[in-house]
Order: sequence, then C-alpha cells, then structure tokens
Amino acid sequence: MAFLEINNVSKYFGKTTAVKDFDLKVEKGELVSFLGPSGCGKTTTLRMVAGFEVPSEGQIIIDGKDMTFTPPNQRPVGMVFQAYALFPNMTVAGNIGFGLKIAKKPKEEIEQRVKEMLELIHMPGFENRYPHQLSGGQQQRVALARALAMHPEVLLLDEPLSALDAKIRVSLRAEIRAIQQELGITTIYVTHDQEEALSISDRVVVMNNARIEQVGTPFQIYNFPQTEFVAQFVGTLNAVLAEIVDVKDGLLRFDGQQVHTADKLEGYRNGDRIMVAIRPERLSFAHEGRKANILTGTIKNITFLGSIVRIQVKLGESVFYMDTFNNPYLTLPNIGDPTEITCSKEAVLVLQQQPA
Amino acid sequence: MKRVNLFAWIIFILGIIYFFLPLFSTFEFSLRMKKGVYSFEAYRVAFQDPKFYYNFGYSVLWAVLTILFSLILVVPTAYWVHWRLPKARPIVEFITLMPFVTPAVVLTFGLIRLYGSPPLVLTSTPIPLIAGYIVLSLPYMFRSVDAGLRAIDIRTLTEAALSLGAGWGTIITQVIFPNIRVAILSGVFLTFAIVMGEFVFASLLSWPAFATYLEEIGSMRAYTPQALSLMSFFITWSMMMLIQWLGRGAGRAEEIAVGH
Amino acid sequence: MLGVVKNIETRQKEGGASPARPQRFGSDWMAWLGLLPFLIFAVMFLFLPSASIVVRSFQDRSGNFTFDNIIALFTVKDIINAYRTSLTISFITAVGGGIFGFLLAYSVIMGGLPRILRSFLLTFSGVASNFAGVPLAFAFVATIGNAGLVTRLIEDLLNVDIHAKGFTIYNIYGLSVVYMYFQFPLMVLIMAPALDGLRREWREACENLGGTEIHYWRYVALPILMPTLLGTMILLFGNAFGAYATAYAFSGSFINLVTILIGAQIQGDVLYNPGLGNALALGMIIIMSLTMVGYVSLQRRASRWLK
Repeated sequence: MAFLEINNVSKYFGKTTAVKDFDLKVEKGELVSFLGPSGCGKTTTLRMVAGFEVPSEGQIIIDGKDMTFTPPNQRPVGMVFQAYALFPNMTVAGNIGFGLKIAKKPKEEIEQRVKEMLELIHMPGFENRYPHQLSGGQQQRVALARALAMHPEVLLLDEPLSALDAKIRVSLRAEIRAIQQELGITTIYVTHDQEEALSISDRVVVMNNARIEQVGTPFQIYNFPQTEFVAQFVGTLNAVLAEIVDVKDGLLRFDGQQVHTADKLEGYRNGDRIMVAIRPERLSFAHEGRKANILTGTIKNITFLGSIVRIQVKLGESVFYMDTFNNPYLTLPNIGDPTEITCSKEAVLVLQQQPA
Repeated sequence: MKRVNLFAWIIFILGIIYFFLPLFSTFEFSLRMKKGVYSFEAYRVAFQDPKFYYNFGYSVLWAVLTILFSLILVVPTAYWVHWRLPKARPIVEFITLMPFVTPAVVLTFGLIRLYGSPPLVLTSTPIPLIAGYIVLSLPYMFRSVDAGLRAIDIRTLTEAALSLGAGWGTIITQVIFPNIRVAILSGVFLTFAIVMGEFVFASLLSWPAFATYLEEIGSMRAYTPQALSLMSFFITWSMMMLIQWLGRGAGRAEEIAVGH
Repeated sequence: MLGVVKNIETRQKEGGASPARPQRFGSDWMAWLGLLPFLIFAVMFLFLPSASIVVRSFQDRSGNFTFDNIIALFTVKDIINAYRTSLTISFITAVGGGIFGFLLAYSVIMGGLPRILRSFLLTFSGVASNFAGVPLAFAFVATIGNAGLVTRLIEDLLNVDIHAKGFTIYNIYGLSVVYMYFQFPLMVLIMAPALDGLRREWREACENLGGTEIHYWRYVALPILMPTLLGTMILLFGNAFGAYATAYAFSGSFINLVTILIGAQIQGDVLYNPGLGNALALGMIIIMSLTMVGYVSLQRRASRWLK
C-alpha cells in the first residue's frame, strides 16, 4: 500500500471547482511535484493534505490511516509556506523549536533538536537571529527546518522558492532535494516552475483546470507529453496543427511541409487535423543528401542564450524554434538565409486533444 | 467557531451603542424645548440668533485661511522633500509630530507669552490663531499630501516632465497637482472639520468661533447647545464622507487607467 | 585538490544594497533653501514658543535664573493634584479605550462579521475620533447628565437615580466615560490595519506545528501585535492628557486638569506667578515627549514585524 493516498478527491468552493477527481498514490520516501499554472488546484490539493481544507469528495490516507477530517494540528505533516511564514517575533531557534515547545518537550531536547536542524540546513550558529535579519533564502531554509523538526511523516512545500531570486532558487532547490533524500521523507512539492519540478522530483503531476493532466517521471513528462497542455507547459515547444496525409505511413502535412511521425495514428483517418509538437533541441540543420523529414524555410532571428543558441526559422506561416549547442567554432547563418532543417520521426509528437 | 462569532457580535453591538446612544440622546434632548411635546423649537431658536451666524461665519473664515496657508506651506514642502531632499524627511516628519508633543493649550500659552509682548507683537492679529490651526492640522495635511505623492512616484513624473521640456510652473500645475488632487482634498476636508470644531485657540486667543459660541450658550441655555452639537457632528461626519467618497473615486480612476 | 571537480555556477548575492541615489543638479544648500518657508514657520510657531516655555520655566519675575518654579511643580498641592487627575484620566481612558478598541477591531476584522459592518465601523471611527471638544461634552450631558436620556431611562425603568448613587459626569470617572468616545475609535483605526497585517501563514504554520487557537494567540499573534497595542495606548494616553475643551465645557465642574490650570493662567486668573505657568507647560511637554518617544520606538518595532 502506498504511504500517502489521495483518493478521488474533489473540492468545490461554492460553484467553482478547485480540484476535480484528483487521484494519486505516493510511495514512502518519494518526492512528487504538483506542477501547473496558478489557479489550477495544486495548492488546494496540498492544503487538503495539510488539513487546511476539507475535501468535498474523496479521502486522504496517510500511512494507512484515514485523515480526511483530521484537524491540521493532529496530522503528522510538516509544511513550508510560500514566504514570510516564519514567526517574526521569535528567533530562529524559537521558530524551529516552536512545535516541540507546543508539544511540551523538555528544554534540552528542544535545544538539541534545534542544533541538529541548523546543521542540516547548513546554518549553525544562527540560533539567536530574528527572521528580519535573514535573507529570503535563509528564511526559507529555517522554515524547512521548522517543518522538519517535528519528525513529520510527510513534508509539504507550497512554492517555497517562488519569492526568491533566480540564482538562489537553483541552489536552494538542490539543497532541498539533498535534505529530502538524506531523510528519506515522503514529500509533495507544489510549483508553477517546470524546470524546478523536473529537476528535483521523482514524479511530476501536471495539473490544469482543477484536473490532473499527466503523472510521470520528469523524463516521461518532458519527452512524452500526452496532452497539448503538458507539452506546452513543460519546456519550450513548437506545436502546430497538421493534417494527416497517410495514417499508415504516419505522414503529416502543414504549411506546405511534410513530416513523418513515429507515433501511431490509430483511430484517425486521412484528412483529420491533429496537433503535433517538436522540441527545439530535436531540430537541426539538414545535412546535404538527407531526404526524410526535411522542412524548408528562412532564418528569421538568432538569439544567443549562453550554452545554447536559439534560431527562429520561418516555415510558411509558422515560426519554429530550433536550439543548437553553442561552441566557439559554430558558423551561424545570416538572417533571411534560406535553410533546411530536420528531425527524426520519433521527435514528432502527436498530442491528444484537450478533453472538451 | 460559533462562540467566537457570538462574542464578536456582542462587542460590535456594544461599540455601536457607545457610538449612537450619545448622538440619539442629543437628538432627543434637542427636541424637548417645548414642554411635553417633541419639536424643532431648539433648532428654530438656534438659527434665529444672529450671533450664531456671526461666530459660524468666523469659523468658516478661519478654516478657509488655515486651508489656504496650510496648502501653500505643506504642498511645496512635501513635494520638495520627495523630489530634491529625501534626506530632510526625518526632520519634516519630526516637525509634523511636534503638535502631539505640544498640545493646543501649551502651544497657545507659548504663543501668547512670546508674541504678546515686544519685540514682535502678534496677538492683536489673527496670525497666532491661524498658525495654531495650521500646526494642529499639520500632521493630517502633511500625511495626506505625502501619501498622495508617494503613490504616484513623483521623481519619475518630474524627471519625465523636465526631459520633455516642461517648466516648473507647468510641472506643478499640469503634472503634480492633478495627480495628488484627491490627497490634497482629503487633507482640506479634514482640516475644515478640525478647525470648525476647534475650541482651544479661539477661546484662549479671544477670537469669535463656532465652538466658543457653543460653549458660551451652553452655560446659559439648555436644548439649543444640543441642537448645535448635533450640527457640529454632522459637519465632521459629512467631511469624512466626502473624504471616503473621494478615495473611492480615486480607486475607480485607477481602475479606468488600468483598463486602457 | 587533485581529482575534485567543482561545479561552478554563477552565484548572485541576495538582497544587494539598493543603488545609490544619483546626485541631482544644483548644490545642496540650494535644495535646503526650498525647505526654508516650512522651517521658518516651524521655528516661529512651534520651536520658539516651546523653547520660550522651557527657558521661562527657569526664570523668576525679573528674569533671573531660578529652580523655584520646578520645585513648585512637585510641592504645590493644586499642581500635584492636577497632574494626578490628568494622569489618572489619561491612564484609565488609554487602557480602557485601548482594550475595548482592540476587541472591537478584532470583532470586525477577524470575528466573521459581515464585511459591510467593517467599513461602516471604520468610517464611523474616523468621525468619532475627530468628534471631541465642546459638542462632545453637550452630547454626553444629553445622555448621562442630570436630565439625560439614559439617566431618565434608568430612573423610569429601574427606579434608580444614578446621580443620587454618586455617578456624575463631572468627576474623573464621568469624564473618562466621555473621553472614551474619541479614544476607542482611534484605537480601532490603528489596530484594524495591524490585525489585517497578521498573515494567514502564521496561523497555519502554528496549526501545522500542532498549535491550537490559544497557542496562536499566546505565542504568535499577541506578541506580534504587542508593540502596536502598547504604542497606540501610549498615543491614547497623550491624546487624553492634552485634551482641554471637553473638560472646560463642563462648566461648573471642578475637574482640575493640567490643561485647565494652564488655560486659567492664560485667561488671567493670576493664581500663581507666570513662571509657574511655564513650569506647568514644561511638565506637560516633557510627559508628551516621553509618550511620543515611546510611541515612535514601539511603532518602529511594529513596522519591522508587520509589513
């Protein structure tokens, strides 16, 4: 049995549906991200696990115990909030030890635990600082320590890095992941940042409009998006509406171009219109002599992004992004040059239409 | 949760009673001038007294003068602090807090002692009176204007106007003033309410005013003072409503601006 | 070190200092010149009057230096009594108005009352906190004075004459009831935004860590609000301490407040020598300055916690 079960949970606020039929099993020690745009229901789902919201339908089971209606202060759950959730009137030690103090643990034990936690977050000696004396990143690390001090069975993080600078976000998310793996704690991580979700998760739940779009490993989510929404939301993507020329052969047509896809076109007929997607990094300039999956167009723009160079290619009416690794010996074409680009059949992904 | 709610209701109702009982009592009292029946006799008597108009007129005059000089003093200063002298802010803020430290009575005492004898005799002019009113309303006026200036990022606007070749007259009248009009008007109405009800300066400096007149008839008559007290309350109340209404208008204007 | 790879990523210091303000054209003293009208006004009508009070407190009739006036502050019975009365009323109405105002603000902000009541209360508090002085005195005469509505109602319904039982608005407790009318609305006006500043996350973090509602108020909310609470009470204290008109309008009353004594000095009831009047005013300035310092420092602390 899974350690944390969210069984067919729905949540309605009056007439609006915040979460619909959310069903997920999380294994012990797993880190699962909820990824989606704001208002998609990810935070509401997290708050139902924490106990701040009661589901309208469904169950929440932690370690075999039904906790659907358990009040938040009796759940074995630690939570890290978006920002500014440290108690401003208490020192770092006061914050981290707060839960233990409420639980009437002896003073020595609290001190000991605070010390351990500060070691864990690499902030030893910060006991007597106040939150307003800390940077945003330090505050969030203390918030993490506070959530973990009580030995919770489940750790919940609600966009913990969204208020921080980009660079700090990157280093702190690695630290969070390291601590999570060190403790082996079952964790749910809510974020709207796809890069963050992909980089730290064992599995990602992509949500949109109160529903789950896709559940999978970061690898699956990125490489095999099942819906148009997932494909669009995760990573950069060239999506285009194409017409099926030949179902058996996987031949598609758009803007006067023809491409083959490796995906099965079962259930479709010739002449149907479908959404297809190609990741920019799977496109490349066509070597001479190559015949299959050639797209012809002109160079529209070239953007230098550091480790990669993003080239915009105009193919008929649509503009495709093509990413190529940077190297000092790269010879870049000029804007306006005619060009031929290509990709493998496997790179052409057929996306499910959004359920109406 | 239910019990908390009940507690909140009880406190709220107590508060409302504290607010309204004196007002209602004043109203009821003011109607009892004719024995045995409720009538508006007290109001009729009050508004028949030529001294009422004389004193009320003076209060209006004081209020207008106060507002005028207060604006001349506060608006350019607040603007200057925002635009050229941010480091003078602590000094100016300290000055606007001073009226709390020297209450009206103390200030009047100081003014009379200082300007009641040579070298500079001002007590025969209304200057100490108006100055006192300005001091009294200074915290409110400065804060309103300051908040208004803060809300519109005065530096950028001024710099933009200057770079477009505007002169200082144009900047003040065409750029700054229209943008802080609501804030200025809030300060104006509040000052008006304060001066109309103010008693200490007028009484101790011996100038006619509505509040001193009210106090005077209070020691001689019954019922009419209550009628005029109620009127005084409604002056304050209507000024506050005007401020609220203006604030709401500003909110709407912002929405419209965002909608573009 | 041999064989150790360092993965270097560009790092950026967090929260760097804000860039220095660009120097503006024109020299510094030119800029200060723009402040001159305001400064002249402040010197003429605030600092000089206050300073003259301070100086003259230490002068006798012929202008020689003396400590007599200051000594008199602590020895003349009427003066001591006036200070005691003023301080008592200020204390009662600051604490009473503070507590009631806080509860009222709590009720409309957090008590789950309909939202419309909240804006209604805030508007009314704005009016009531500015409604003081003479009209307020007459309003309370009409309410709990000898022929006031409440007095008559209690007499009619309960057959109790509250004034015969010793209640009167013409003593310090009666005056406290009157002062409360402008005191607690001021508290509401300041506490309401402070209560709004309590973040939902704090309550939820407390719950998440096993705390109850009581833990939340005891360890989190009240300590966070305390600087604002105390600071505002100090402000109320000063507010009552400086009040004059309301007490004065209760003519025939014998509530000798410090402000009333000073007023009497001005109006020429030459009970004392002028130096004594200055000393009275000086005492007032000192007490008001102390309350201001207390208020400002607590306010500074509060703004650090409640952003």
